[in-house]
Amino acid sequence: MEMAELQDKIFAFCEAAKGKKKLKEKDILIGVSTELSLEKDEVKKALREMINVGRLMYSYGGGASSVEIPSEEYLREKGMIK
Amino acid sequence: MKKYDTPLIDELEKGPWPSFVTEMKKAAKNNEMANDAVGHLEKCYRTKVGYWKHGGIVGVLGYGGGVIGRYSELGDEFPGVAHFHTVRLNQPSGFFYTSAALKEICDIWDKYGSGLTNVHGSTGDLVLLGTKTDALETIFAEYSSRGWDLGSSGSALRTPSCCVGPGRCEWTNYDTLDLNYALTQEFQDEIHRPMFSYKFKIKMSGCACDCVASIARADMSIIGTWKGHIEVNQDEVKNYAKNGMDINAEIVNMCPTQCISYDGKDLKINNAECSRCMHCISKMTKALKATGERGATICIGSKAPIVVGSLLSWVIVPFIKVEPPYTELKDLIRKIWEWWDDNAKPRERIGEVIEMKGMRSFLEGIGQAPIPQQIKEPRKDPFMFYTEEDMAAFKAKEAEEKKTGKYKF
Repeated sequence: MEMAELQDKIFAFCEAAKGKKKLKEKDILIGVSTELSLEKDEVKKALREMINVGRLMYSYGGGASSVEIPSEEYLREKGMIK
Repeated sequence: MKKYDTPLIDELEKGPWPSFVTEMKKAAKNNEMANDAVGHLEKCYRTKVGYWKHGGIVGVLGYGGGVIGRYSELGDEFPGVAHFHTVRLNQPSGFFYTSAALKEICDIWDKYGSGLTNVHGSTGDLVLLGTKTDALETIFAEYSSRGWDLGSSGSALRTPSCCVGPGRCEWTNYDTLDLNYALTQEFQDEIHRPMFSYKFKIKMSGCACDCVASIARADMSIIGTWKGHIEVNQDEVKNYAKNGMDINAEIVNMCPTQCISYDGKDLKINNAECSRCMHCISKMTKALKATGERGATICIGSKAPIVVGSLLSWVIVPFIKVEPPYTELKDLIRKIWEWWDDNAKPRERIGEVIEMKGMRSFLEGIGQAPIPQQIKEPRKDPFMFYTEEDMAAFKAKEAEEKKTGKYKF
């Protein structure tokens, strides 16, 4: 699977969980790799690239971290949108 | 700059001790954020309300930790602390800095933050207190361009920390500084990209004096120990006695395993009974010395109370050689994480999961054989596990002994 396509799948997975469940990185790796019959490492690589460019982001609350779709405020703050 | 009246926190400047209030006031003379932090603190004391909230989405791009978002509910009244984020800097092994390095850190912090620091936080990181969201990327760029990195926060491997080790201490049983650096480099991904159920801390002490309190503060404590005897220099023992040390009261009676005797002339140690607690060696440095093979004991599971009460670490590996490239140790750490990851619910520390699933499940998961030295508290509750195969073999042996009248030990 092409990297861009895999990243779209990961994004869709996160979008489906938005507002319902705080996703740990592991939840995404297991969920997407099972859904697409891929190796976790492959999903991990694609996920990391998405985080590096701000398509996804880490969030933090109550001592625990999760992966989320960034808000417009976050993207504006990082100079990714105007 | 607004001048705040601070009668309550002024009380904390009284007495012979250094006062954080005095230091905050010094910073407040040149920094609006620090000034508002002083006024905010006084209001917190007056109303007995914290007003702080923390967490959220602040951070630098690509990293999941290192910045902890802090906001005040009183942003209108104290605009300097409306955003007051904490930045953690990865400290050098053993907390060794040059004056130039400290000046560099403070100069950058004065430019973008409140100027207030906490050296060091309980995690070990050098903590910079109070900055605004829009300054974070610039702060990171400034520090990283000078060779500094952010520390860790959230559900990640927290910044590993260690005692001063061979840098200043003759008692260390392994190179804590090198191991700390090696693990920090090896596990960069685990430090900066939170992937666990909750936090995981590794702390390294060169001996059982445990100057970084790893036994109580780290999910994984790596504590130096040795296999040989304690060498006794009887001339130095005499010198300690001559100089007024009450050897029976201060050494013999305080030995936790009662393995030392002193007849007024010679000090003797029953090394087979010694638990290597370091008490005698640290009290009679010139007279006693550890000898033989050096390494470390690995303990697992300590934590402060959140989900369940506070825990101290358990011994899981009584002795391991600690030498570069530390392959055995790194492999063990990865196995521990794997078991934890498979079994933990969100916000469960490894010690809690072991409490719930049992040490047996944990040891099987990481491929360690159960042995009597894997104890929760020294000399109190050694435990062993027997599988059904063990029991069958035991029964067969017992039946054979009964039949033949010959006993095997």
